[in-house]
Amino acid sequence: MSSSVSPDLRIEPWRVVVFYFVAALVFSLLAIRLFRLQVFEGQSWLGRAVDNYTREISVPSSRGIIYDRNGVILARNIASYNIVITPALLPDDLADIQRIYRELSEIIDVPVNSGTLDDAKLFATCVPGPGIAQLVELGESLAPYTPVPIACDADEIIARIVRERAVAWPGVSVQIDPVRDYPTGSLTANIIGFLGPIPASQLDFYEDLGFVAGRDKIGYAGVEITLQDILAGVNGKRVVEVDVAGKELRNLEPPIQPVAGRNVRLALDIRLQKAAEGALLDEISGWNAYFGQVRISSGVTIAMNPKTGEVLAMVSYPTYENNRLARFIPAYYYQQLSEDPRHPLLNNAISSEYPPGSVFKLSTATGALNEGVVTVDQTIYAPGQLILTEKFSPNDPGRERPFVDWIYDENPAGFGEIDYLRCIAFSSNVCFYKLGGGYEDEIPEGLGILRLGEYARALGYGEPSGIELPGEADGLIPSPQWKRINQGENWSTGDTYIASVGQGYVLSTPLQVLMSGATIAAGGKLMQPTIVREELDDDGRLLRPFQPIMKWDITETPLITNFDCDGGYCLEMETKSTVDPFVVEQVQRGMRMAVTNSRGTLNDLFGDFPVAVAGKTGTAEYCDDVALKANRCTFGNWPTHSWTLAYAPYEDPEIIIMAFMYNGGEGASVAGPVVQRVMEAYFELKSIDLAVGSGG
Amino acid sequence: MQRNLSWRHFDFWLLGAVVLAIAFGIAMIDSAVAGNAELVDYPNRQAIFAGIGLVVIALIAAIDYNYWLVLYRPIYLVMMILLIFLFMSARAVFGAARWFQVGVIFIQPTELSKLVVILILARYFENTKGEPRDLRWIITSLLWTMGLTIWILLQPNLSNVIVIMVIWIVMMWMNGLQLKHLVSFAFGGLALVTAAFPFLQEYQQQRVLTFFFPDPNATYGETYNIEQAKIAIGSGGWLGKGYGQGSQVQLRFLKVRHTDFIFSAISEEFGFIGALMVIAILAFILWRCIRAARLARDVSGTMIAIGVAALVFFQGAVNIGVNLNLIPVSGLPLPFISYGGSGLLSLMLGVGLVESVIMRHRAMEF
Repeated sequence: MSSSVSPDLRIEPWRVVVFYFVAALVFSLLAIRLFRLQVFEGQSWLGRAVDNYTREISVPSSRGIIYDRNGVILARNIASYNIVITPALLPDDLADIQRIYRELSEIIDVPVNSGTLDDAKLFATCVPGPGIAQLVELGESLAPYTPVPIACDADEIIARIVRERAVAWPGVSVQIDPVRDYPTGSLTANIIGFLGPIPASQLDFYEDLGFVAGRDKIGYAGVEITLQDILAGVNGKRVVEVDVAGKELRNLEPPIQPVAGRNVRLALDIRLQKAAEGALLDEISGWNAYFGQVRISSGVTIAMNPKTGEVLAMVSYPTYENNRLARFIPAYYYQQLSEDPRHPLLNNAISSEYPPGSVFKLSTATGALNEGVVTVDQTIYAPGQLILTEKFSPNDPGRERPFVDWIYDENPAGFGEIDYLRCIAFSSNVCFYKLGGGYEDEIPEGLGILRLGEYARALGYGEPSGIELPGEADGLIPSPQWKRINQGENWSTGDTYIASVGQGYVLSTPLQVLMSGATIAAGGKLMQPTIVREELDDDGRLLRPFQPIMKWDITETPLITNFDCDGGYCLEMETKSTVDPFVVEQVQRGMRMAVTNSRGTLNDLFGDFPVAVAGKTGTAEYCDDVALKANRCTFGNWPTHSWTLAYAPYEDPEIIIMAFMYNGGEGASVAGPVVQRVMEAYFELKSIDLAVGSGG
Repeated sequence: MQRNLSWRHFDFWLLGAVVLAIAFGIAMIDSAVAGNAELVDYPNRQAIFAGIGLVVIALIAAIDYNYWLVLYRPIYLVMMILLIFLFMSARAVFGAARWFQVGVIFIQPTELSKLVVILILARYFENTKGEPRDLRWIITSLLWTMGLTIWILLQPNLSNVIVIMVIWIVMMWMNGLQLKHLVSFAFGGLALVTAAFPFLQEYQQQRVLTFFFPDPNATYGETYNIEQAKIAIGSGGWLGKGYGQGSQVQLRFLKVRHTDFIFSAISEEFGFIGALMVIAILAFILWRCIRAARLARDVSGTMIAIGVAALVFFQGAVNIGVNLNLIPVSGLPLPFISYGGSGLLSLMLGVGLVESVIMRHRAMEF
């Protein structure tokens, strides 16, 4: 041992031991922690790592195109050009970036600098405001590989210029977004509808189907909503690996291609639709000009093939311009539409309920003849007005009340002695009061409200038709039970009388009125009204050919519940009956007589029409908020809706048209001309088609 | 003095461990910067620094460490001037001046200053080896230390101040620091930290707060780095995802993966086994340094080896602790492995000093 080593040179060994101990302790702690993270929790951290680099990208599918029956496009997708900058692809040199911003700014008219970065955060995508530099800076801080929209929905020419010049502008590109376009706009807005963003309340439902909130749109109205599943298609999916900047590196799974939505061909004939709109608007503006005020605030006209149920035209006035809602729904416009008291967003043809008035007499006529309340040969005395006893119960002594015929003002003597067919043709109220409610010995037992209801429902009243349009109303066929529940009052004899002529509590949609006429016209067959004809694939191949659906045939399907009535009390029986085809034929004859007989309600309009027309008019008294305010809801002063229903050719009907004018006045003179013009247009188009068809 | 100089006594085990760590580090840096065009030179640069470092080790080992102690005055002064100049100069990065730029190379005098403190303290303890370990002894050593440290504190660079203070405490401990003093230091230090917290830079306060009270609503940025480090480490599993295969590293979810968070990168690509190897190498280097300290022929030699051991140990433990989210983010590199020329050269200088000590150890062993 060397003597040069002095003891105080040495470190005390225990101090080294303590140091080693501390070091061992620290290293062990680190190792334990490492073990916990990597071995115990390894799987969950691995999951987080996979989440980090895995991104699911939804590939949008294209929405189906909507055509009319002749292939005219009613809804399509057009390109909307967005000028975008991908921050990560911009050049490195700041001067180059500034040059790009400056040159781009001159073309797209967005300032290079405007506001601060914090201001830019407040703007939603595509809302003009922030400058280019601010938008890019914001986008870069979030996801540098995601393109930032600088100018949305740019003009096509500008988009083309930008795309050409973008060769010298790394990072700048033109993104093409599909936007729904409606070439026929307001003409078909009530049928086609429009699209909107997925609402928060339905987010889960649509996300499960693969939709992407904020990007994908769904139908909000019209067939865009009812045919959503057909039109939308299925989004594709790609699972990609991304780096921290969001740059896509590779597909992790084989990509699933999007399935394009199917195209749809509607039953609508856009030419007839245009003619119908023209006829309706002309008539409304003509009358409003005549009265010097906006008297007719809304109107409807529908044309349908009674044998197939295909709706060829459906116009509801007022309407809206769905192209204005195509890119996004502007708040001011939507507010304007929803606050309009005439409800332009509502399709009045199916969503509004009105008293049908005399067009409802078809139900009474069918029922009364089928139930033997009246015979065809029987003559009925129809004076100008009828004094009837209004009773609320069988033992009620009652109160006498006049029930007036529409002819009363013209001729207080009324129609006089008329038969069943003339009751229909002249639309005699007194006659139908008697048929519905009975009258002394002449009609000992009327049809009664319960049986009337059965026949009305058989003709299509009282429930939604099931047409492929959203928001259909039920209509209302009242019954004593309904009145007790909803009005807190007994059914009175007077209620039956006025229900027999489609007044009082009876309500229906214009489409239901059309269906009742169509059922008679088609000899008792109620065809399912449909706006959709066929589904087509991208190449125009038929996927689902049109197949008319018959809801029922009143002459074959037992629909009419029988009642056992005794002294006003009726019991529902288990048996159901059909309508005798003879009865339907007689009602047809009555409607035909309305045209052929010189005193018939449609004689003036269709008497000289080259095709044999049959029809029925209606003038329905009503009272609503507007009428109440104008103090019109008093006896003899009621405002009236105007209805007309007509089909042709009488022998083999192929078209049935109805028109409705809100507060229009007399049916034949206000709604009638609309039906006449649409009818003319229909046959004119038919002859054109035939000429073209035979020529080709 | 020359009688003991023999390359036979050169600690090749220590050198081997250091070279292994550095080589592993360069390989890892290469993996970590893949795909980043700006950092593509880094593995080469690190290799060049390592090459220079090996020369430095050889040179320093060849020179008797006591020469440096004789030159303590100019060394101390030059170091102090460099630090003051750094403090004054305006190259502010993250709010603190940390380096000089010479050409394309950034020099961090702070890294070198840790070794200067070791040398100065080694000389001081050599000179006072016969004196009682009283308060005066402690305070004088603290004053020597603070002469350099104060400028680092002013940068402000709290992490390195803590490193130096730990080196100082470890060297005093080995030199016979009394337990009662250590205990009172511990409490005093705690009190000082509490009192000093309000004076910390905001980002430092934030780091400490984020660590102790993770805000469940904290934004992405605040906890992002450490969260990504945990994902990287945890997802590595037993054997890792393979070299160049770590998704966290290669897809750049892990930040500063070639410096502060290189341990996480290693853990992801080489797994638990690889990470444990890194700890084992550090432990081995530590053991060789302590061994050198125990064999040293004089107090100054012992102290130099102890100081370097403390430096490697503390800096390594803190870096790994940060990676494992055991302590707040500090910004200290992983010795020998993290990218950084100044840090690497300083550490290799330290290894050179230890080799110098071991080559001139006392003859007792023979």
